[in-house]
Parts: sequence; C-alpha cells; structure tokens
Amino acid sequence: MMSALHAAMAKHPESRSTHKRRRFVFLSAACALGLTGCAGGFAIPNVLYLAIGANSDQTIDAELIEGINNLLKLLESGFRQIYPSTRFQFAAYPETGIKPAMARRNRAGLGPDLLLINGDTAKQLVNAGLVDPFPLTPALANLFNPGDLGRLRLPDGDLAGLPVIIHSQVACFNRKRLPTPPSTLQELLDASAKGHNIGLSVELSTLFWTAGSVGATDAWLRVVQGKRLSRENVNSIKNWTAWLQDASDQQRITFYSNQASALTEFSNGRLDWISCSSTNLPRLRKSLGASLGVSNLPSGPGGSASPVNRLRVLALGHSSSRQGRDRALAFSRFSVNPLVQRSITLGSQILLPANRFVKVPVQSSVTLQAMSDSQEASLRTAELANLLHVDDPRLDRAQNLITQLVFGEISPQGAATALIALMEAKP
Amino acid sequence: MRQLLLEIFGWLGYLERPAVVVQLSLVVALMLGTRTARRRRLLPPLPVAGYPPVGLGLLALSAGLLGLLRQPTGLLLLLGGLWLGWYALHLLHQLLRLWLPAQANHQLESRLLRPAYLVIAVMALVSEVDSLNDLAVAPLGELFGTQISAGKLFQAAVVIYVVLVGCGPPAAGLAWLVQRAMGMSEWSRKAMELMLRYAVVGLGLVAVAVHLGLNTTALIAVAGGLSVGLGFGIKEVFSNFVSGLWLLFEGSVRPGEVLMLDGDPCEVRKLGLRATLLWRDRDNAELLVPNQTFFTEAATTYTASDRMRRSQVSVGAAYHHNPADVIALLEATARQVPRVLPDPAPKALLLSYGDFAINYALRFWIANPMDNVGICSEVNQAIWHAFKDNNIEIPFPQQVEYSMVWPPEQHRPNTEHH
Repeated sequence: MMSALHAAMAKHPESRSTHKRRRFVFLSAACALGLTGCAGGFAIPNVLYLAIGANSDQTIDAELIEGINNLLKLLESGFRQIYPSTRFQFAAYPETGIKPAMARRNRAGLGPDLLLINGDTAKQLVNAGLVDPFPLTPALANLFNPGDLGRLRLPDGDLAGLPVIIHSQVACFNRKRLPTPPSTLQELLDASAKGHNIGLSVELSTLFWTAGSVGATDAWLRVVQGKRLSRENVNSIKNWTAWLQDASDQQRITFYSNQASALTEFSNGRLDWISCSSTNLPRLRKSLGASLGVSNLPSGPGGSASPVNRLRVLALGHSSSRQGRDRALAFSRFSVNPLVQRSITLGSQILLPANRFVKVPVQSSVTLQAMSDSQEASLRTAELANLLHVDDPRLDRAQNLITQLVFGEISPQGAATALIALMEAKP
Repeated sequence: MRQLLLEIFGWLGYLERPAVVVQLSLVVALMLGTRTARRRRLLPPLPVAGYPPVGLGLLALSAGLLGLLRQPTGLLLLLGGLWLGWYALHLLHQLLRLWLPAQANHQLESRLLRPAYLVIAVMALVSEVDSLNDLAVAPLGELFGTQISAGKLFQAAVVIYVVLVGCGPPAAGLAWLVQRAMGMSEWSRKAMELMLRYAVVGLGLVAVAVHLGLNTTALIAVAGGLSVGLGFGIKEVFSNFVSGLWLLFEGSVRPGEVLMLDGDPCEVRKLGLRATLLWRDRDNAELLVPNQTFFTEAATTYTASDRMRRSQVSVGAAYHHNPADVIALLEATARQVPRVLPDPAPKALLLSYGDFAINYALRFWIANPMDNVGICSEVNQAIWHAFKDNNIEIPFPQQVEYSMVWPPEQHRPNTEHH
C-alpha cells in the first residue's frame, strides 16, 4: 500500500508540493485561529498578570516563589468565588531592576496588569509612565491611614498605588544560643561582650532603626525638612554615629555589606541576633525551626527603635486590556477588603494589613506583636519617609559615609558633620 | 512540571490584548507573505535571497506606523530582529562555505549556530512575557533526593549538549599538539583525539551531576542497579561500547587501519561508540560493523606493524621456454612497475607444471594495501607486454585427441607414430 503511494507520488511530483501547500495553508489557518481565538473550543484564559518586586534582602529563588504562591493562594480561592476562572500569573523582579523590566515589557504591550511593589517604587514608575495612577474612590481612601496615602500621592493628587500590606522590621534571634533577646542597645552591646555574635548590615535602610534608639530621628527629620538644627540635634546625630562606630569596634558585632549576607550567616547558625524583615521569617523558620525567636528591635536612651517598614502597594500596569484592567481593579479592591486583609495577616504571619480597620490579633502571636509594635514605632519616622525617597541621590552618599564610618575610615564627629551637610543640601 | 506548564499556558492570556494581537498578526502575515512571494516568484527580478530583506523592510515600516500611532512595537521589533538574525545565519552559512569544508560548515550551522540561536530567541521571547529568573527556579521534581529546577535542568542540558558537540575541536587541537610533541603517528593522533573526546564527555557528565547536586551515594546505587540491567537488557550496546574503548586502547582498530572483511580490504574511517565505520574501496561502500565483531572474531590486518603488503600474481608460460629466463623476465618486469616497492625485491617462483603450461608466481611488495587490486592489474599488464616483447608464449589450454586401438594391449602411444 505504502509502496503504491510512494510510486504514485513519484509519478506525480506535483502531488507532493500540493501536500506541502495544503500543510502550509493548514498551519497558516491554525495560526490565524490561534491568534484571534476564534476556534470553537478555544477560549483565551482569564489571566491576571502580576509583577512582584523583591527587596534587596530577598533572593529570588524557589523559596521566595513558594512564599508568593502561598500568599496568592490565600487570595485566589476567595477571589475566584466572585470572579470564577481567573488565573494568576506572577513574575518576580528585583525591586531595583523592575523599572527597565517594565519598560521593556510595556514597549511590547506585554506588561503586567498589576504590580506589587514598594510605595516609593510605584511613585517612580508612575512618574516614568510605566504604571497608571490608581483611581481612588472616597470609600476606598477611607480604609487607609491618611499618612500612608499621603506618601503615595503624586504632585497632581493622583495615587501611585493602593496600599495593601506592610513588611515590618523586627529583631530575629536564635533561642538556643541567646535565650533572652536584648531589649536595649546597651543590652545588645552586653550580649556581644558575653560572646554572642551579633550581625548588622551597613545598608542605611536596615540600620536606621538605631537612630530612633539613640534619639536621632528628630534631628534627621529637621535636617531633611531644611530646618536649623539645635546643638542638641547635632549632638544626637553625633551620638548615633558614635554608637555605630562603638558597635563596629566590638569583637562580636559584625557589619555586613548587605542584609542578605547577614541573613545567610544567621540562617546558618553563625549569628545569634540580627535585625530582619518580616518577609525573611519563613526562610529563617525553615532553617532554624523552633530556635527562631522574633522580638522588638532594641530601644535606647532616645526611645524606641525607628524601624523602616515597607508599605507594599498594588499599582496598575500600563499595558492591560479593558478586561485585564477590570480584573486588576477588582482584585485590588478585593485585596484590601477587611476580611481578606485579616486572613492574609493570620495566614501568613509575616505581613501586616494596610487597612486601618483591621485589628491585628497580637495576643495570638509573639511575631505579630513584634510586627505590630514595629509598625507603631515606624510612625515616628513616617514624616521622614515622606520626604526621603529611595531614589534620592543624597541617600547613596549617606550610605557611603556610613560605610566609611563603620569601617573606621572617618570619625563619628566627621561622619555626623558630613551627614548634616549632605542632608542640608537639597537634591 | 505542572507549574511550568501552567505558566506557559497562561501566556495565551496575552492574546486578549489588541496590541499584542496586532503585532503578532503583522509578523505572521509578513512572514507568510514573504514565503509565498518567494515560492511563487512574485517579484521576478528579485533573487530568492532578496525576499526576506523585503519582508523585513515591510516589517520595519509597519513598526514605524504603529509607533506613529503610539502603539506598542516591542514585540514586533523583537520578532523582526529574530527573523533578521535567522536570515543573517543563512548569509553567514554562505560566507563560511568559502573557508570551511562543506561538512564542517554544515555541522557548525546545524549543531551549534542554529540551536544556540533558537535557544537565545526563545529566552528573549520568554523574557518579554515573564521573568526568566522566576521560571529558572520553578521546581520540576526530585532526582535522587535533589530538587531539580527548570533552570538547573536547562543549564545541565546546555552543558551536556555543548560538551557533546563542542569537545571535538579542542580534543583534536590537543591531540595535534601531543602528536607534534611526542612524534606520534597519524593514527595514534586520531585514537588519542577520540579518547580525549570520551574523557571530556565523561568529565562533563560528572560535572553536570555535581552541578545538579545529585547524591553520589544514590548515583552509585543506581549504577549498581544499572549493571544488572546491562546484563539483561542493553548488553549488546554496552558490549559494543566497551569493545570500542578496548580496541582504541589496544590500538588494533584505529582510524586509518586496513582490515580484511569478507575478502575485501577496508579502511577504518571512524571508531564510534557502538560501531566501526569502514570504507570499502571496491564499491565505495561504507560499512557499519559492531565493535564487538573485532573484539570477538579474528581479523586480518595489513597495518598492525607496518602498512606494506606482499602481493602476488600468477601466470603460465609454455613448456618450451627456459624457466630461468622466464623468472628473470618476471622479476625485471615487476621492478619496472612504479608502485611496486624495490625493496623487498620482487621474487618470481616456478610453482608447478600444469597441463599445458608451467605455472609461475610473481611476488612483490606494495606500500598501501588498499591499492592492491590496481597494482596487480598494472603488473599483469606489464607481464603481458614483456612476454610479447620476448616472444614468450602464454599457452592456451591444449588437448590431443587420438583413436583407441582395441584390444588395449595392441595400442601404441602417439609418440611412437612420430
């Protein structure tokens, strides 16, 4: 049979080309149908494309992806009850590199529908035309602290993104090696003197909590506001820089070039105490198990610590279709619903709700208590956070000064003077 | 794996966006249009290779128009760039034909350049719709207790492919250097090149296993289990592989060797993992012989210690010629044939007295065993001319018929009548 067919084809070479042509036409038709989605049984899936920014202390690996998946699962099932057949697809990018990635995807019309990013990043992206301002209704605005919304307001009054969750800065310690966490800066130094290994990062954002404990946050606020500093203010900044250098002189206190290194060392059991973000807790729990303890950051003579918490917002992508935009808005509103916010908080145990009407059940968890305290303490620096944005060029130079100070290149006095001069100069 | 497939399926959702559909439709339409125009020669003055640039030009024009309408063009430009790159590869292939042999050029293109380009193209397209880093860490499952991610598997596949395809030139280069330094023969160099390739592939596989973080204890256990499987299932394959390695080390069957196979001299072209490729001069056939054939069966080689072969032609001369003259003439004739080696000197022998001729053999040495048939022909021709010049007869078969006298006792031999 086959040989007869081959013989026939050999006799009629045009039948072979006809066959090819038919295949070509069939493939073309299939492509066209595929593109238009007109085939009878084929329906374009309802997908909500998300881009998620990972902070510098987060490594994009299988654990982070699993964590994001878990967070989305908390939301997905509830959302599907209202909007069935919606699927979520996310892509994680380093927060520092999200701008060029979004620019590239938007140029192709393939940008995400929603971005879960830091508030500051959202403002940068709106200014760059890479995400659209969030349409805020009065009812929706009422759900959040006016301070939080203020930080997200653009000069023209638009909102860069919808606040949804808060990542808190807390203290992490190894219970097996350090049964009682230090509650003050002095206790932190004493613990190191007793042989406990303490890890700190020279990154300004993760080290700034010490400014609150020393009592230097008011001085920082005044200098950033452009107000004249009193002698007391100047001394408080000097005290802060002096404490940092004092800490770096301790044999058992190690300053790491970045927070990720400190986390790795702590996770491997080589450090007894570090400051950490609540988002790091699942990874640390996995490696340390029940030995992981979470507490408040140490206070000091100047009061409580001034943690830098991150307000995460949902920003609207620029490339969405009409249906995609509707889905994105619906999901955003759904995410800040009090019930959903509470389930996110309780389900994850690493996030705080942005909705001010959701009470965190602090009695149920020491971790939630520490995170809640951290959020309360961060309000002290809310105004400072409004004035200093991550893309402020002064921060890079301040970071450089802090690094030099910690490694003994400049004196505390010199560092304080240089920092004040730097912050007094408008960018 | 399921997560990865869902991720890929999820990309279809982008077809909901008009901007994406417009860009894809333009690219598909222009590519199909260019192909149809080329096949039907719709632009007669244009050579076949000139159609893609026209299509690319139209694509650039479309992108410009979309840009003027403030519509996204990134996908269009990316796909156009990939199309341009594919066309450039075609041009590069034409250019390389000037410097590289056809087979090497084809292998370079089909095994390295085009696969590498396709991988880069897919990665560029995926990075438009997703984060490559994200996909790379997607778990695919466990192998010997080690979590395998898509990125790890992809890297491992690329390393294995590059090692398999790309280890040839470095191995050849190193073997050439060793040959120059140690004064090895050409055939030893080829054997060393093959062994180096096996070594590099082996090391590459081990490196990939280490990179994947595979548990070595588990690997050893699997190897133990596999050995039982080898005994039953793939014994022949493994036997051929081991035979090939053994023959290489032994040096008895190396590329360039000449072996007798079914009475024909064949040159070893390539010693493969499973089979040896032989070339038979008689009909220019290439024979694939399983390695274990040479391992288990006797084989005749002409190239084990040197490449010389002693050859022989037979000839008959009439009885009335002095055998000493014939022998001297045969030896002198063989010496005059250019491809017959002068040393060892040709030797003619009187072999036997035949029915109608005295049978002689002329033995001589040749440098290349593959040339035996041709040289024998030359020698035979030279003998014919030499015999003719010296009036030496090559007798036809002769028979003398006579009547028998009855009864036999009265019969007298023919000689008595003379």
